[in-house]
Amino acid sequence: MEEIQADAEAKRVTRRFEWFLLVTIALVLMGTYHLHQELFAGDWSFWLDWKDRNWWPIIAPVSAIAYPAATQWLLWTKFRMPFGATLCALLLLLAEWLSRYWNFWDWTHYPLNFVFPETFVPAAVVLDVLLMLTGNWVVTALIGGELWGWLFYPTNWIMIAPYHVPVEYQGALMSVADVISYMYVRTSTPEYLRIVETGTMRSFAGGVTGVAAFFSGFLAAILYAVWWIVGALFGGTKFFKPYAVATEELRKAREKGWDAGRTV
Amino acid sequence: MLQTETTTTGVGLPEKSAFSWRKVGVFFGALTVFYLLINVYLRLFAFSKGLDYTSQDYSTYWMGMLLTEFVVEAITAAALWGWLWITRDRALDRLTPAEELTRYWAWAAIVLSYAFSVYVGASFFTEQDGTWHNTVVRDTDFTPSHIVEFYLTFPIYIIFGVASLIYAMTRLPQFATRISLPYVILIGSPIMIMPNIGLNEFGHTRWFMEELFVAPLHWGFAFFGWGGLAIFGVGLQACPRIMALIHHVYYGKPILSASEVLKDPTGTCDPACCYPASEA
Repeated sequence: MEEIQADAEAKRVTRRFEWFLLVTIALVLMGTYHLHQELFAGDWSFWLDWKDRNWWPIIAPVSAIAYPAATQWLLWTKFRMPFGATLCALLLLLAEWLSRYWNFWDWTHYPLNFVFPETFVPAAVVLDVLLMLTGNWVVTALIGGELWGWLFYPTNWIMIAPYHVPVEYQGALMSVADVISYMYVRTSTPEYLRIVETGTMRSFAGGVTGVAAFFSGFLAAILYAVWWIVGALFGGTKFFKPYAVATEELRKAREKGWDAGRTV
Repeated sequence: MLQTETTTTGVGLPEKSAFSWRKVGVFFGALTVFYLLINVYLRLFAFSKGLDYTSQDYSTYWMGMLLTEFVVEAITAAALWGWLWITRDRALDRLTPAEELTRYWAWAAIVLSYAFSVYVGASFFTEQDGTWHNTVVRDTDFTPSHIVEFYLTFPIYIIFGVASLIYAMTRLPQFATRISLPYVILIGSPIMIMPNIGLNEFGHTRWFMEELFVAPLHWGFAFFGWGGLAIFGVGLQACPRIMALIHHVYYGKPILSASEVLKDPTGTCDPACCYPASEA
């Protein structure tokens, strides 16, 4: 009877610690992954008019591959759990939506269809499935990294397509996203015009997005490998000896004649 | 070296209440209410009293809040960290497994507080700062959103993070005699976000920049935020020890004693030991 009670109690305590661990890791990933993404690709995520077909398909996925790769290192190599990338994509999406709803819409009153975030969930599922099927992080980097870049734009297209419909506004041809943009001029608007509305994007018929996605996949493949290694480094379990302990051990070693044979 | 090599005697079961959600829930409820109230304050007075740094209202509602934050944070940090240090365990080598397990529960609650505060500061209030700056032209480094984000939410996670580190180093054998590299990164790297504010504010003061959130001037925040990934290493250090303690306390499995862990904590970090009690 006592054994049964102890077993039940052990399972209860184990579950509680597991919840602590899972929620803690989820909150840290939400906080720091979102921080990473908003500071490397944030403007493209915040605003609909920034979601162009030249820079957005490069900058957003190349930045976003970081945490999925590092988390896959932990969950796959240590626990054989094939959902590190999907977990990160979902946590990022949750963090972004919480902010867009409460901050961008409810506080500063931008319409939600102007500030909705992009999603990485479909590409993350592909990345996880690839790692699960191949069991090889190098293959996942080469194929999964490329697919990460290629899949980003098509998997987000369904959300932004209605805003790329051409309209005539005060005699000028522009997109619906542009019209909304001019209704909500922001302090970053000049940068938007300078960065996004440049080069041949508007006049170079076709090909812009495909080439951007191709380049994005190339960079994502490289960065997947880099961030997998970063995950391994941050997941290390190294302990250092404090100065006092190291000094004491050195003193004891010397007392035992550790350096008796050394020549000066 | 695995944890199964040595045994210790005198197993006592911890009280069921030692692993209660109630205290944790009350604490997190209070913390959540606190952040909600801060958000309410921001909504009430950011646009109405926080647009002109030279106004009397600004001094009253925002600079007054900033100074209050500095004072309360300094007192809280000194009191909490000082209390944790003064009440440290001076006989860790005699710590029983049951007591060690209950301490991991308290430690996990502090680390969770840290994680929650990191989310609030780095994610929610940082993007809030983004939408603020895209809406309002700044005329001071101490804008209302900064007074909440930089000088309130960031110090709060620093206070919790350092508190968790002190708790671990003074009460848990695994972290008492050796310095955990991932733990130092997990706490130290996000701490560096605070000094990085100096760079950020200098840049915004020196150059009248447009509010491009991805500007290289901001990348220091992201760089130091990467330290959050060290939660992987801390988890891989603590998880096997916690599971080993559960296996020992409830099933009588062999375990490294506290005094042995104090001598060499590296033997407690085998992820193979990190499996649930039901599989013991």
